[in-house]
Amino acid sequence: MTAPPVTETVLPLTAAQSGMWYAQALDPLSPAQNTAEYLEIDGPLDPALFAEALRRVAAEADALRVVRVEDTPDGPRQYVAHPDAAEVPLTVREPDTVAEAEAWMRADLAAPCDLAAGPLFRHALFRVGEDRWLWYQRIHHLVIDGFGHSLLVRRTAEVYAALARGERPGPRTFGRLADLVADDAAYRSSQAFAADREHWTRAFADRPQAPRLAGRGALPSHTFRRRTAHLSPETTQGLRDLAARLRATWPDVLIAAQALYTSRVTAQPDVVLGLPMMGRMGSVALRVPGMVMNVLPLRLAVTPEATFAELVRQVVLGIREVRRHQRYRYEDIRRDLGLLGESRGLVGPLVNVMPFDYAVDFAGAPARAHNLSAGPVDDLTVNIYDRADGRGLRIDHDGNPALYEDEDLAAHQERFLHLLDRLAGTDPRLPLAAHPVATPAERELVLEEFNRTERAVPPTTLVGPIEAQAARTPDAPALVYRDTTLTYAELTARANRLAWHLRSLGARPGAVVAVSVPRSVELVVALLAVVKAGAAYLPLDPDYPAQRLAYMLGDAAPVCAVTDRADRLPDGTGTPLVVLDGLDLSDRPWTDPARALTPAHPAYVIYTSGSTGRPKGVVVPHRAIDNRLRWMQHAYGLTAGDRVLQKTPSSFDVSVWEFFWPLREGATLVVAEPGGHKDPVYLARLIREQSVTTCHFVPSMLQMFLAGPDAADCAAPLRRVFASGEALPRETAQAFARALPGVELHNLYGPTEAAVDVTYHACDPADPGPVPIGRPVWNTRLYVLDAALQPCPPGVPGELYLAGVQLADGYLGRAELTATRFVADPFGPAGARMYRTGDLARWTARGEVEYLGRTDHQVKLRGQRIELGEIEAALAAREGVDGACALVREDRPGEQLLVGYVTGDADPAAVRAAVARELPEHMVPAAVVALDAFPLSPNGKLDRRELPAPVFAGSGDGARQPSGPVEEALTRLFAEVLGVGRTGPDDAFFDLGGTSLLAVRLVGRIRAELGAELTIGTLFEASTPAGLAARLDATGRAAEDALDVVLPLRTAGGRPPLFAIHPAGGIAWCYGGLSARLGPDQPLYGIQARGLNSDEPLPRALAEQAAEYVRHIRAVRPHGPYRLLGWSVGGVLAQIVAVLLQDAGEEVDLLAMLDSFPAEQWRERPAPEEGDALTAVLRMAGFERTHERTREDVMATLSRAGSPLAGLTDRTLSRIVDIVPNHARMMREHHHRVYDGDLLFFTAAAPRAQHWLHHGAWRAHVTGPIVNHDLDCVHSQLLLDRQLDEIAAVLTARLKELGA
Amino acid sequence: MALTLERIRADVADCLGEDPADIPVDENLVDHGLDSVRIMALLERWRREHGIAADFADLAERPAIEAWAPLLGAA
Repeated sequence: MTAPPVTETVLPLTAAQSGMWYAQALDPLSPAQNTAEYLEIDGPLDPALFAEALRRVAAEADALRVVRVEDTPDGPRQYVAHPDAAEVPLTVREPDTVAEAEAWMRADLAAPCDLAAGPLFRHALFRVGEDRWLWYQRIHHLVIDGFGHSLLVRRTAEVYAALARGERPGPRTFGRLADLVADDAAYRSSQAFAADREHWTRAFADRPQAPRLAGRGALPSHTFRRRTAHLSPETTQGLRDLAARLRATWPDVLIAAQALYTSRVTAQPDVVLGLPMMGRMGSVALRVPGMVMNVLPLRLAVTPEATFAELVRQVVLGIREVRRHQRYRYEDIRRDLGLLGESRGLVGPLVNVMPFDYAVDFAGAPARAHNLSAGPVDDLTVNIYDRADGRGLRIDHDGNPALYEDEDLAAHQERFLHLLDRLAGTDPRLPLAAHPVATPAERELVLEEFNRTERAVPPTTLVGPIEAQAARTPDAPALVYRDTTLTYAELTARANRLAWHLRSLGARPGAVVAVSVPRSVELVVALLAVVKAGAAYLPLDPDYPAQRLAYMLGDAAPVCAVTDRADRLPDGTGTPLVVLDGLDLSDRPWTDPARALTPAHPAYVIYTSGSTGRPKGVVVPHRAIDNRLRWMQHAYGLTAGDRVLQKTPSSFDVSVWEFFWPLREGATLVVAEPGGHKDPVYLARLIREQSVTTCHFVPSMLQMFLAGPDAADCAAPLRRVFASGEALPRETAQAFARALPGVELHNLYGPTEAAVDVTYHACDPADPGPVPIGRPVWNTRLYVLDAALQPCPPGVPGELYLAGVQLADGYLGRAELTATRFVADPFGPAGARMYRTGDLARWTARGEVEYLGRTDHQVKLRGQRIELGEIEAALAAREGVDGACALVREDRPGEQLLVGYVTGDADPAAVRAAVARELPEHMVPAAVVALDAFPLSPNGKLDRRELPAPVFAGSGDGARQPSGPVEEALTRLFAEVLGVGRTGPDDAFFDLGGTSLLAVRLVGRIRAELGAELTIGTLFEASTPAGLAARLDATGRAAEDALDVVLPLRTAGGRPPLFAIHPAGGIAWCYGGLSARLGPDQPLYGIQARGLNSDEPLPRALAEQAAEYVRHIRAVRPHGPYRLLGWSVGGVLAQIVAVLLQDAGEEVDLLAMLDSFPAEQWRERPAPEEGDALTAVLRMAGFERTHERTREDVMATLSRAGSPLAGLTDRTLSRIVDIVPNHARMMREHHHRVYDGDLLFFTAAAPRAQHWLHHGAWRAHVTGPIVNHDLDCVHSQLLLDRQLDEIAAVLTARLKELGA
Repeated sequence: MALTLERIRADVADCLGEDPADIPVDENLVDHGLDSVRIMALLERWRREHGIAADFADLAERPAIEAWAPLLGAA
């Protein structure tokens, strides 16, 4: 008798299976598609009988006979073995412990499955006790889902029981896999399919943001973290009862609870949860063990006012709607919405309810299921099992390890369980606002522990301590401006005389006196005089447009206004003027004026942008600012030797501490020129020359300052720098630590409404991640509250509220507005207020706050607070404008641009010109764009994302031709830096979208390419190429392209030039710092890779490349002696160039290498891949690559650090992508010849992964001694300041020995 | 006590939170919000109160009242 022929059936995949197949194909080494569980069987079991039962079930279930899945030209196909050929290898083991068995299972589960080779499953039986067994089954998700698992388990138990009784098992009950495939194909060509697609596309047309508990998404990972908990039986029953009362099911209630939790934790009212659905109702699939399940999005609106009962009802109706379209695949929905290409998810957490209990037994031995893996976890999945073990619901939180640490999962789980407890025991008709998501312990932590700032302070005012200080140190220098120095006595006398005068005009406690004086000695005297008189000062920036000044004077109704000259303020405001120019106060007393001033009286009124179009005056009382300055002195301890820079405009509240803190402590105030605050070069000089110890920068200005050439020179005098006004990027803090080592950097935060700053954080260069805004200052409480005004636990974003002594009184004359922003503090003593900042923030576990952005349309542009509504109101007020909108765009990383949009028939350029006369400079849009209509989202709201980027066009072809090489070079640089096609010589920088950050970049490029010394100020004064060309020295060199092979870094000087060859990226700009340090007599030429600015082919071998460099070097210097240097690959090339020059009979008297290693050290090592080009670009700027994934990330980092490499064009970057691996390849193929001479070597000596690199390897290739210098840094940092100083010092000494 | 068509309809309506008059006897109950958890709950109730023998798959395969009636002994 012969065996029947064994055949295989070949089937296409269902859409559900295809989804799994593609996911596995995308990441073949991922075991994430393995699903597994084990059954704990309590009782005797016969392994042989069990194996037979399993074999029979496999013969019945097609899924267990899918032996492999192969890709074919027609798409993937599954091969199903003939039932007679069903093979189910069963591993049987006897481990010592359950833990040992589980470890074996986890190891098995961690191995990826090769679908093309199979097998797709594994079964094992562990005997873990006399009569106790564990049955492990792992099956690839392509062939089975959770419900399928349950069918297999039931049937196996049934067949085993029959066999154990010696009976024939009942007939097969499973449907066929082929039926599933046919059913699926029928659906996909049906009308229902089209209707379902229509439904989903419509429901999510606005592509809502997926709510992520971690605040971000991540790629799917190979594994997941799991945390298991059990809901108490009481709460479980409570939820069941609640569900019954609400005519819902307990899964509906759990889904509603998760929606509530997710909404609060993500601060999103629009929540989309993912619901895994078994997808078998009313279908043949009910009897087919296979992969059918689908994940469908459930979209819910969660508002604090709604009740839990309403939310549950929404869930019931929402799921009903979802079920009507449940066959449509999740992958297809994402594809239809265009989310697939963007790797964007649609849903937040998955809520996977498994109501099926495996109440099975194996011939009387009861079994309990333990899930090990329910498939891939993209973000977070909450698995809820209803097991009939009387222990209540089991809840597994599975998290993607790239997003959730164990403690994150624990926190989410603990809070969710607390929330369920609360909901089970609370009237469902209460508003959702009644339910906090923080646990009681977390609530105590964030409300009390993190806010312990109570500190008794004496009841003083802003000015009292200044007068006491002046009396103590009358002869100490109080103020320096240009060549003028005033002692405390002199300043006091001048301020007192003016104060007496102001008193005579009505200045007194409770009154307001305006001050409109440019930065000068007089400004300080005037401000001090106003507070000495007891009045509150109102700073009016002399640069503001007349209309705005008139509005503020009318709104604040000051008793008088102090100005330096008569025409400073607009006519006709009716405010009496005190004009300092020519004012004789010699008859006024020099003594402190008498005044009935209390800490409750206002100290100053500062106007900020108002969202409705009207600026609003913030009234800050003395007690608030006095507390602020007392805390500041306690925290930073200013001494008589300190010199504090005053550069912030008086209309910006940071200036308050600049003006008054030093005067309270006996230190000296150093006053910058008007306008000087915009020029990094001027500021660096002032800091150096005036030995400034303390100053403030808005972070974007700090970036510019650090990018300037002179910042490092400020390290000696500076002790501390304060940053505030906008988010401080970590890159800026790191650049700060590099440029100014040893100088403290403090990040402060606070709105004008809370006396300058309310939080503080000392930056540590070693810290990773975002820079926190820190902890609360004295007598200040911070609350991070969710939409229900419940405290957010650490890590959860919410709106920041401030309470305590530093709060402003409110807005001048705007009681209603004040009432909306300063509200009752529910956590403080009766009558306490809190201020609603509109800032998004979260607590860290350490009790510091991180700033996350805004909740509204207020923006910060270079530290200035702007309400877009105010700009929109100004645009809309223009004739011919029908509708207006304004926003801050960031089309190029790191470059923020304020843009206005208008509809109607007004000329956009005229609109911009008109608003420029009304709004302060920082609020004038860089461009106004005219639109036919505003883009709307499907629900009819303005879709800001669809607003077009402004197109800045230079005068282009119509422009006159540049006259002369300098103008030509400048028009080109303008166009490059601005990113516009062409500019003409008469196009103005700031009309073409120029920002101050771009200005710094342009000035840097002009310095580098034209060798011209100019300041930012020059660009503000002469903002066209023609104007600038006229300003530049007539003898300025013609432009040389910074990407040519020869880069002349310094051509002047009497010594033989030094040639410095590029590192792996091919650019030699990194040697710019060397040029400055080697002195004016040492010429320096960079040698750069061919093809950075052209499509020339790249060299094939290092020898070919070196020969070309020899030609270029000899064109500059026909005969030796030659002096060569190179960093990284550049050092290797320098050695080859040296050999070639010696071949030609020339003398080479210096060969210097910066951390370069010969070819044979690399040969056996794998060459870097293309992505490493981005690493190389970062390294040329002195960074190691960390979080930067894409080119955009890299450019953003360079841009934030102010690196000139941020200005590289896409074309150059894509060439670098080729140049880097080409160097790596050529390095590995090169064979060195011997250079006759010695070698000066610099090693980056910090520990590195490539520990096998050593300069000793050069011994084979040089005849002379090798002199090595170890530098305490990594490879990429060699050309950064401190190392560069050291290298330059060694080189200078060596070059001096060699002589001219 | 045997189940009747009207009893089935009333119980289904009850678990869906609807009025029995709004539950058609010949349409797919999934479209009216019937899900596996609700079928399990109904099954449990009918087993307890009426001793019916049908199982989950029987009901879930054709989720309509008319289709259920013979399975539940109400035809």
